[in-house]
Amino acid sequence: MGWMAIAILVGLLVYFQVAISDPAAKKRAVFKTFIGIVSTFLLFVAIANYKTNFYGESRLLPVSLVMITATSFIMALYFTNLSALLKIGGFMFFVAAFLSGYGNWLPQVEGGFPPVEEKLDFSSMTPQQLADEGEKIIFGGIGKNKEQGAIGKGQCPLCHAFHAGMLGERAPNLLGLVNRSKERLEDPKYSKGNPAKRDYAVKEAFPGSGTAENAQEYIAESHACPSCYVVEGYGVKGTNDRESPMPAIHKPPISLSLPELAAVDAWMYVREGLEPPSFEEMIKSYEKFIPEGERPQLQEDKPAGEATSLMADGSEPVDQIFAKAQCVACHTIPGIPGAVGTIGPKLEEGTTAAQRIKAPDYKGTAKSPAEYIMESIVDPSAYVVKPFPDNTMPKIFGQKLSAGALKKMVDYLSQVKAGAPPPKIS
Amino acid sequence: MGVVTRKKLFSIIALGAMVVALLLPIVMALPSPATGEEAPAAEGAQKEGEKVEKARDVYYKTEGIVVGAPAPKTTDGPADYPRYNFESRVLLWFANQQHLYYGSFVLAVPIFCMIIEFMGVVTKDKALAKRYDQLAYDFIKISLTAYSLTAILGGILIFTFLTLYPTFFSYLSSIFRPVMHIYALMFVAESGTLYIYYYGWDKMKEGFLKWIHLSMSVILNVIGTLLMFLANSWIGFMMSPAGVDEQGRYLGNIWHVIHTALWNPLNLHRILGNMAFGGGVVAAYAAYKFLAAKTDEERAHYDWMGYIAMALGVAFLIPLPFAGYWLMREVYAYRQQMGITLMGGLLAWLFIIQATMIGILFLSTNYYLWQAMGRMRGAEKYQRYIKYLVFLLACGFMVFITPHTMVMTPAELKAMGGQQHPVLGNYGVMSAKNGGINVIITTTVLSFVWYMRGNKISTVSWARFGNIFMGVFFACAYINIIFLAIYGYYIPANVRVGLSVPQVATTLSCLFFMFTLNSMMMKGAKQLGPIEWGKISARSQYALIMLATAFTWMMGLMGYIRSSVRLFWHVNEIMRDNSPWAYTHTVGFAANVISANVLFFWISILFVFWLGSLTAKKAPVEAKVGVPGAIPQPAGSH
Repeated sequence: MGWMAIAILVGLLVYFQVAISDPAAKKRAVFKTFIGIVSTFLLFVAIANYKTNFYGESRLLPVSLVMITATSFIMALYFTNLSALLKIGGFMFFVAAFLSGYGNWLPQVEGGFPPVEEKLDFSSMTPQQLADEGEKIIFGGIGKNKEQGAIGKGQCPLCHAFHAGMLGERAPNLLGLVNRSKERLEDPKYSKGNPAKRDYAVKEAFPGSGTAENAQEYIAESHACPSCYVVEGYGVKGTNDRESPMPAIHKPPISLSLPELAAVDAWMYVREGLEPPSFEEMIKSYEKFIPEGERPQLQEDKPAGEATSLMADGSEPVDQIFAKAQCVACHTIPGIPGAVGTIGPKLEEGTTAAQRIKAPDYKGTAKSPAEYIMESIVDPSAYVVKPFPDNTMPKIFGQKLSAGALKKMVDYLSQVKAGAPPPKIS
Repeated sequence: MGVVTRKKLFSIIALGAMVVALLLPIVMALPSPATGEEAPAAEGAQKEGEKVEKARDVYYKTEGIVVGAPAPKTTDGPADYPRYNFESRVLLWFANQQHLYYGSFVLAVPIFCMIIEFMGVVTKDKALAKRYDQLAYDFIKISLTAYSLTAILGGILIFTFLTLYPTFFSYLSSIFRPVMHIYALMFVAESGTLYIYYYGWDKMKEGFLKWIHLSMSVILNVIGTLLMFLANSWIGFMMSPAGVDEQGRYLGNIWHVIHTALWNPLNLHRILGNMAFGGGVVAAYAAYKFLAAKTDEERAHYDWMGYIAMALGVAFLIPLPFAGYWLMREVYAYRQQMGITLMGGLLAWLFIIQATMIGILFLSTNYYLWQAMGRMRGAEKYQRYIKYLVFLLACGFMVFITPHTMVMTPAELKAMGGQQHPVLGNYGVMSAKNGGINVIITTTVLSFVWYMRGNKISTVSWARFGNIFMGVFFACAYINIIFLAIYGYYIPANVRVGLSVPQVATTLSCLFFMFTLNSMMMKGAKQLGPIEWGKISARSQYALIMLATAFTWMMGLMGYIRSSVRLFWHVNEIMRDNSPWAYTHTVGFAANVISANVLFFWISILFVFWLGSLTAKKAPVEAKVGVPGAIPQPAGSH
């Protein structure tokens, strides 16, 4: 399209040369058309740049917007009728470009997919294994408990600190929790054995549940019914510490199951060198405070295929995505371990994609290498590389891979170049 | 005389029709909660044998009879998430944002019209009254074209929803069914009222009829605001659901569904935001007309229009941060994790961008005011102090954008040695940042005060005392704000949060007392020379355009933040998002989409402006017949 616009302008240039007899007018017309050609060229370069890099991580992207700005201002200088409009447009483009650039310059954090429930049998684990699972739930990984900002499915470190001196002003520091629990039970405000006497927003986890009798039950009650007892100074503002800001952990959005809660507790014991109660005892302590109807189930009652009907959700590193989608069985992909298949072409798209778009028999709709790669994954028959047969590759990847996974694959493949070392796996 | 009476009669009938149009949906709404609450009970009584299932409201904790189906559990597939080869979420984002831009614009402009028309009616200066009236008319003319575009975009939005998120949309509409028809009726009422208001302008120009016309604008705005409240209830429900049980089953009380935890703060924040945005757009329109103007008269008119629009926009911009503060407080009160995700977690970087944007908005406003002093004779005496204001603004801005807790990758965390920067981390605490923004706002107030007294010398007997008092007041305000900002470093975090109250109180008292005192002092003041409208630098107009673009961008940004805080929930904690897009994009990607949205909006609205200019050209120019010696009349007419 860009070439057509430029061709028309060049045509006009020639036409003015011939048609205008007055030398001054001719000079002006020719000059204006020339500027027009330059601007159009810049504009289309910018559009092309913007289009190719829309999904890319290229931080040069806003540069194209600046080019559009420059174009608008150049044009405004010479087309006085539209001058105000062009200048305003150019200025707005510039502001948008600046803000876009600013957004791209800041550290890029992508929020992951919702945690996928793994089916684990917590009941047969040793206390240490259970504690490890607990650490994963709290911090997102084993050994991450001392890392500032580490956070897992349980989201506990958003508000709680776990080590002496660590940040956490919104909720009590949980160091020494187990021993402190015993003291809390003796606090007159806790009213052990007599929930009716409590002066809190909620008196019991559910009618008839009673209060905790031992440290483990106290921990369980705190998770299931945070407002049954609130540590001084940590209540919701204006409630005089009668109500806790903490959500019930077995309910959405966190929805930890009873075994998961037991794993969390196990970590709290083990990390202080204490022997945790048995798995069954911990589960029982939760059953005391969570009625049967409210207990979240593991896996079974989740809708069929939730998060799992996808082959890959995009949270995995790219080599795993290639493995999960079985690409490696048929294709050779430089840099991906095990990808040595020969049923399909070798994937060096950094070099080949651009060539294929230009191939005379190419009938697809891709305009850029990234689009071509995407098209080849979701619609393999759009262009079939010779001499490989058509209809061999499944056409389900558009539905079976998440947008995030597809993006990662396209990003990786577009960097694989023939004769160059393979790109890093991210 | 007979003609006048007939006119009066007609206009009263028209006004009556509007009131009926307004009341009709409300009357229709009355039985809805009743059917919700009572009808099922009656039904239950009839079928005694059948068990009536009761459930507890997730938010209000009241018991209600289950009348709706549970929220569907979606799976990724063509049934729940049909799609094109593009990210559905981005398509919906685009459709939503465009509808919202136009929606806010057409809701804000009639409020402006109401204010300006009122100013025109009460002002004693006839020439000025006529100018105000013309300005209000110009405003409504712009909004009329935008109005139909809003409706079209609303249609597109619904189609996008139905095509890309059918299951989710049908769930939401099943919840809101009792008020859906009211929404539609309100829309009809809004259209009807708007057209009568617009086309009745010339017929109801004088005396009593003008008051009727003004009342119409009040009704128009009441309808518009109610319409927006209804639309807000949808997003309020998505963020902080109420009126349903834990499975998402409707419990028969539509008021609970509408009146969720975040509904009221959202309503207030949106009204103020719309007004600021509307002011920005109209100011940009005036700037465009100013830059394109061929004659001095045109320049004078559009300079004035830009100033009024900017002043109105900024008047609503100033309380906006406080409304935002209330909204955030309610978010924290509703779900602490949600608040932390916003301010100290995944989305925290976006708030850094927001802080930058707020800074840009205030800097542009101040810049415009300083430029505007150039068109007054006598304002030169303030020019030399401007550099100190720049210094104050720059300092305030730098403190305001200093981050505290940051979200980073593990490698970055390791490199920096913690979540907080070893040096900067100590500085970016809330009370200091509040100090920064309050210094900026107070300085803006000071700029306004200087602007208002630019070409005037007070003649009241206590002028000297007044001036000294004002100077001392401002100085004390700055000292108090800055002292509290520094004091915040020496006290624990939970105590220093409370410092925002005296800081804000200081700023607000500056705003109210100083404006009031200044206007009292300037009553009957000696003029050093008239304001030479039109004799303002072109740069100032770019400040207006900057203001408008920044408003638009910020609206896109804040909308994105508000929406993405739900993370992987369609309806928070009730209906999970199981589409492949249940993750949060990077800041850069979001910024790109916002920029694209902003540019699309401006290209389309410039087109609307251009369309408006076509009609203006057709109309005869009656402007030339102004009162001799009066301020130049606008070129456009009706």
